[in-house]
Amino acid sequence: MRPSAADRRRPVWGDGLVALLVAAAAVVLLFLFRPEGGNFLTATVVLEGETIARYDLSALAGPEELEVEGAAYPITIQAEPGRIRILESGCPGRDCVHTGWASQAGQQIICLPNRLVISLSGGASDDIDAITG
Amino acid sequence: MKRLPFLLMVPLFLLCAGCGSQQEASRQFFAMDTVMNVTAYGPHGADAVQAVQQTVSRLDGLLSRTDADSEISQLNAHAGDGTAVAVEADVAQLLRLAQDASGLLPGTFDVTIAPVMDAWGFTTDDRHVPTEQALSDALALVDGSALVVDEEASTARLERPGMEVDLGGIAKGFAARQAEDAFRAAGAEAGILDLGGNVTVIGSRPDGGAWRVAVKDPQDTERYLCVLSLSDVTASTSGGYERYFEEDGVRYHHIIDPRTGWPAESGLLSVTVVSADAVLADVLSTSLFVAGEEQALDFWRGREDIELILCTADGRVLVTEGLSDGFQPAEDGGYSYETVRR
Amino acid sequence: MSTSLRRLTRCAVLTALALALSVAEGLVPLTVLFPLPGLRLGLANLVTTYALCRLSGREALLILVCRCLLGSLLGGNLMALAFSLTGGLLALGTMALLVRCSWLSLFGVSIAGAAAHNTGQVLAAMAVLGSSAPLVYLPPLLLCSLVTGAVTGAASTLLVHRVPDLGAIKS
Repeated sequence: MRPSAADRRRPVWGDGLVALLVAAAAVVLLFLFRPEGGNFLTATVVLEGETIARYDLSALAGPEELEVEGAAYPITIQAEPGRIRILESGCPGRDCVHTGWASQAGQQIICLPNRLVISLSGGASDDIDAITG
Repeated sequence: MKRLPFLLMVPLFLLCAGCGSQQEASRQFFAMDTVMNVTAYGPHGADAVQAVQQTVSRLDGLLSRTDADSEISQLNAHAGDGTAVAVEADVAQLLRLAQDASGLLPGTFDVTIAPVMDAWGFTTDDRHVPTEQALSDALALVDGSALVVDEEASTARLERPGMEVDLGGIAKGFAARQAEDAFRAAGAEAGILDLGGNVTVIGSRPDGGAWRVAVKDPQDTERYLCVLSLSDVTASTSGGYERYFEEDGVRYHHIIDPRTGWPAESGLLSVTVVSADAVLADVLSTSLFVAGEEQALDFWRGREDIELILCTADGRVLVTEGLSDGFQPAEDGGYSYETVRR
Repeated sequence: MSTSLRRLTRCAVLTALALALSVAEGLVPLTVLFPLPGLRLGLANLVTTYALCRLSGREALLILVCRCLLGSLLGGNLMALAFSLTGGLLALGTMALLVRCSWLSLFGVSIAGAAAHNTGQVLAAMAVLGSSAPLVYLPPLLLCSLVTGAVTGAASTLLVHRVPDLGAIKS
């Protein structure tokens, strides 16, 4: 007994239907997740205008540390599920370390001497356009 | 087999149709010792963002104290030697505005505070508590009336040697004003200029509503104090949490009271000023922080063109009534919120 | 050669083949081209498809489980086993059902199998992380499975029609 799908050598209309169903499922899922998008927080680390790392903070399994290469002063970034901070920095003033954790979309941690910016996006649980202060 | 590739492309087209509907141009750059984020929505966005960066970078080049060739550095270098330093027309205008601002709340803002800032090391890498002698020497050089600005001739001079101008408390506001003009001149109608926490909102959000601007919690910069609904205004915040250092267990922040030469202890943790005038918002946020709660509210009652958020050290958040529409306090931040009426 | 011995031999050969394919695939990961966790071509699925068409569902299952176990012994870990087994079993189940449909070819069967495999992996990831976060990866993975499924579908069509029926080989 041979299964009938194996007898064919060319795609048939049914294959298109399967492909369409899979695509439709993907689109429906995208649609379901896009507008809310809320729970997925992304941290982007930009050094001198170049993105050097990106963390999906919501999907992070455990703490992660990053020693930034090529920074003017030694700097270490620590990411945890849901939040990120500058753990240690050799820069003068250490304002970036004082900033502490950032955990909401739209927030930024900045190390000016290193020209390094960590920006959080995606979460927007409060739907905020900008932050003053 | 011919139809299969076509079918495979269908979902890709669907994807593209979903993401291309809203034009958005945005850019991040460093200027004036801070990070600037500019976002424009709608047509001409890319031009507007470019125009903003050019405007701000130009001003940064003219006003920087760290760049020895800048006009402000030239002005400072010629302090006391009688030379009237030629400056760009808008730099003269800015110096005039800064002088006028000193008169708003006398004693709380002085554009010639630079020697004191230097004594504390806030402008350098080495922050420290100055000796009494160093501080009183520096304080003796703070005198806004000894800055002579001639707007017609486009010149400025400092009358006494050692005097220095620092536009830190006003330059971002002035840059925001010029940047907004450049933004609109480029043809864009909606966007956000975030010049290092000085937020100027232009037009309305892509969804038609007011912009939602959060005010940072001065005690926990991970959190917000509140969210404001704003359009076509600038929100500027000053707080001791932005820049500080610790020595012998005491925290010293960078907002210096020009009367004492010490970090202002006014019982306020942060002051946010919202105004259609970006220069006013910037300069007043510093001035009112130094002045304290009572004087700040009295000042507000006397004017129609500003609204305030004051965060006090004893855990109160004071919101002036003009901001109450669309005001949203943070959930359990431990603050009590009060609306202040005229 | 006795029937059971023949059955054992061809299962062993196919398991070895599946293992080799999945190791080979690991050497040239698709994720270099397109950074999406869990994305792969699914060449080992060829063997599953072949076994389903030419042997039986039971043997396909046996080969799959052996391949996953051996694969995790070879280079992976328990986590990798959970991922590949969840994905593989879901794909096998889906394909076993669809392969009987006369209105489909192996293209459709493979696409459905690839989609099921990705769904299984995302489900396993959700279980391991205890969070719904991996769900974001599902839509792009599903779209990719259209392509990877079509490629393995074409390959398995060739395989099933060109390679002699292992079951008919006499000793």
